[in-house]
Amino acid sequence: MACRWLAVSCCYAVVLAMPSLCCAQSALPDSALRNVMLDDIFVYGQSSVEYQKDFSQTGTQIGQGFITDNLSSSLMQTLQAVPGVKASTIGSSQSKPIVRGLGLNRVVVTVDGVKHDGQQWADDHGLDIDQFSVDRAEVLKGPSALIAGSDAVGGLLRLYTNSLPVDTLEGKVSVFYRSNSDAVGLSGRVGGRYGRFFYKGGLTAVSYADYRVPADSITYNSYNIRLKNGRLRNTAGNEASAHLRLGYISRRLRSDVKISDSYSRSGFFANAHGLEVRLSSIDYDSHSRDIDLPCQTVNHLTLLSHTDYRFASGGSSLSVDAAWQNDFRRECSEAVSHGYMPKPQGTTEREFRKNNASLNAMFRMRLPHANELQAGVSGEFQHNRIGGWGFIIPDFEVLSAAVFASDKMDVTPHLSLNAGLRYDLSRVSIHSYRDWYKSPVGSGSPDSLYVERSQAMDGMFNALTWSAGVVYDNAGWILKANVGKGFRVPTAKELGCNGISYQLFRYEQGNSSLSPEVSYQLDASVIFQNKHLTVEIDPYVNYFPNYIYLNPTPDYIEGMQLYNYTQARVWRWGAEAQVAYSFCRFLEASVKGEYLYARQLSGSKKGYTLPFSTPWSAEAECKYKFGRRMDGFVAVNVRIVGDQDEIVPPELPTDGYWTLNASAGKAFRIKDYVLSANLRAENLLNRRYYDHTSYYRLIGVPEPGINVQAMLSFEF
Amino acid sequence: MRIRHFCVFVLSLMFVSLASCGDSDSKDIAYPVISDTLTTASPVECDRFYRGETIHFHALFTDNVELGNFNIEVHNNFEHHSHGTSATDCELDPVKSATSKVWVYNESFSIPANSAAYDAYVDIPIPDDIDTGDYHFVVRVTDAAGWQFYKAFSVKILE
Repeated sequence: MACRWLAVSCCYAVVLAMPSLCCAQSALPDSALRNVMLDDIFVYGQSSVEYQKDFSQTGTQIGQGFITDNLSSSLMQTLQAVPGVKASTIGSSQSKPIVRGLGLNRVVVTVDGVKHDGQQWADDHGLDIDQFSVDRAEVLKGPSALIAGSDAVGGLLRLYTNSLPVDTLEGKVSVFYRSNSDAVGLSGRVGGRYGRFFYKGGLTAVSYADYRVPADSITYNSYNIRLKNGRLRNTAGNEASAHLRLGYISRRLRSDVKISDSYSRSGFFANAHGLEVRLSSIDYDSHSRDIDLPCQTVNHLTLLSHTDYRFASGGSSLSVDAAWQNDFRRECSEAVSHGYMPKPQGTTEREFRKNNASLNAMFRMRLPHANELQAGVSGEFQHNRIGGWGFIIPDFEVLSAAVFASDKMDVTPHLSLNAGLRYDLSRVSIHSYRDWYKSPVGSGSPDSLYVERSQAMDGMFNALTWSAGVVYDNAGWILKANVGKGFRVPTAKELGCNGISYQLFRYEQGNSSLSPEVSYQLDASVIFQNKHLTVEIDPYVNYFPNYIYLNPTPDYIEGMQLYNYTQARVWRWGAEAQVAYSFCRFLEASVKGEYLYARQLSGSKKGYTLPFSTPWSAEAECKYKFGRRMDGFVAVNVRIVGDQDEIVPPELPTDGYWTLNASAGKAFRIKDYVLSANLRAENLLNRRYYDHTSYYRLIGVPEPGINVQAMLSFEF
Repeated sequence: MRIRHFCVFVLSLMFVSLASCGDSDSKDIAYPVISDTLTTASPVECDRFYRGETIHFHALFTDNVELGNFNIEVHNNFEHHSHGTSATDCELDPVKSATSKVWVYNESFSIPANSAAYDAYVDIPIPDDIDTGDYHFVVRVTDAAGWQFYKAFSVKILE
């Protein structure tokens, strides 16, 4: 608590001191400032003035330089450097996005404008996207239903892999090594343009061993799990991904098709599957790179086409995206009998095969009085089939369609307004599922039956969402305010599940009467930039009239604690703040932080927070640049995370921690080629700490110890 | 200048509201407990029972606010999996597979409302035709807020 006060007071002091710092700078003429900004984007988090002025929602733009400088073990861990964004990690090399404390099905990820559709609901399933294929990214915080429809309640992560090649042949080859998990990786990308035609391709392969934690043993449920050489046994994995894009570009038309595939196979910690302690006769310690049971295999295949057409008159344009995605996931473990389930055959515990076809079309046109109108339609079909002897979600199909329109108006050169409206309609069809083994009907009764774990149902859900905002910019200041409504169609698991999750030791009961989750959010951004100083503060308030919550009850069904899906009113607020100061050409410093508060206002957990609430955190960094072209840097970074005592069953409070990190890089130009070397060290002091939102937190596994990453890239 | 004053005002408001937001509500964030010190507890780790006899289950549950319900489950450990809530290693029979005569027991019991402590007694008869061997005896207890605690004992059922 004391620590939080200290952090808040520090932030306050910085904020109060800020206006006096800005005084001298705001006297500069506006046009001079603009030029400085455009030429030299030194802004923290790569958010340029032009980008921030463009729309009223709080957002951050992330370029490839940022990704290279912050490159970590997985895409979300790399993007964690953006305030308000967090990675929920599953082992050392997989993670899912959390935006302002909301994750899983409450954050949408799009790749080149198409919603990435995997198994978002599953907490042990990382984001299956190759971070080396990303050219730029954008994080929108808060409800983004207008752009992404259902699920974009917490935020929207937009990834782009479609930047145009310039030369006939260009590319980049990178090799890297990470000491903690002995990861080795190779990534190559190549592209070229021949007149109106272009191509881009890439290959990435990564192999990592069991990762190391600063501990000799882990104590969970009074059971002492000894670790050999501090390695978390069976957390090794392999990843491979490839993509190829072919396109045509002329003055009016751009059209391209892309095929990409991302494959991974990784192990889960051998001594506990979910919350269940396991002893096995498998010799896990024989090799740190082998993948034994339990493990998962994931493959995501995407076929995508994007077409833009600019009309001859009026600055109008039409864009059409069509995509097909196939997501496969198989989770294997050693079969054991549980309750009335006899020991099953084989090792496939769960399997999901999901197909998704989507089509979006959008029309943009300029209207008189500086209006810019956008309107479009969107449709999607999801088809999910399951396999294996464990049950967690049923087979389902979802068919959805949407229409939307928005308008942006420049009232004066400094003031713009925008507003939009969207209507979504979804039909969710859930199939019946019965156990493959019989259970007794009741105690003492000789009868037994195949229990139905999911009832067939058909549900129609609709939502009218909207958003409105204002942007004002003047003399280096940008003030933004946005109010919006987001929604989320309940998932098949929330509507239809009715069975035991043995890994989490609970009986999960869906609720077919759930209504679409709705969220209202008011965001503001205050941004100040001049040649030396960047300040950004993004506060928000958020209200859910019916947050879908998996509620732990005191009751038992079939020997397991009953968790049922309910809806509760929820109130949240928070803020991110960042200050970056450039002392001179070669020295800059920055401080950033985030805080989030959540309360359930109704239901049986009234007064509690939401599951896996992110604690406050702050980060300070000092960066020294060198070299004739300022293409070398050394940076030291301290990250402080507060205690998390705000918990709901079955979470554990998590103590705060701090880590020391450092990075350095230098680019060397040889003729037309660039050779760059990057070094990055995380948790330099090898401190033992726990991350409240990590998958392995509940079984008491600390976060990785010291990790040094070395990367060499050759650009041609 | 006016913008700057406005911003300082907004920020001040923000931080004042942050600072004033104390955690006044008292929430139950503690697990219920299955007593370790009860000398008459049954079963205990590595207990041995005979087919046809009765297990006189006895445990003491306590909670800081209010207990919920409890559950007793017995399943075989013929393949030596482990739930390991005990650091003791009991001597196990050789690995074998279960037949259709394997014993499965799974019953839930309610605890009277507003109890912060409860002495639980349950008589569990062991059928006389079941597979003998290593079993797990699992006791789970919840509190009214939904926190759960469990203990698993390795027991042996003999001929």
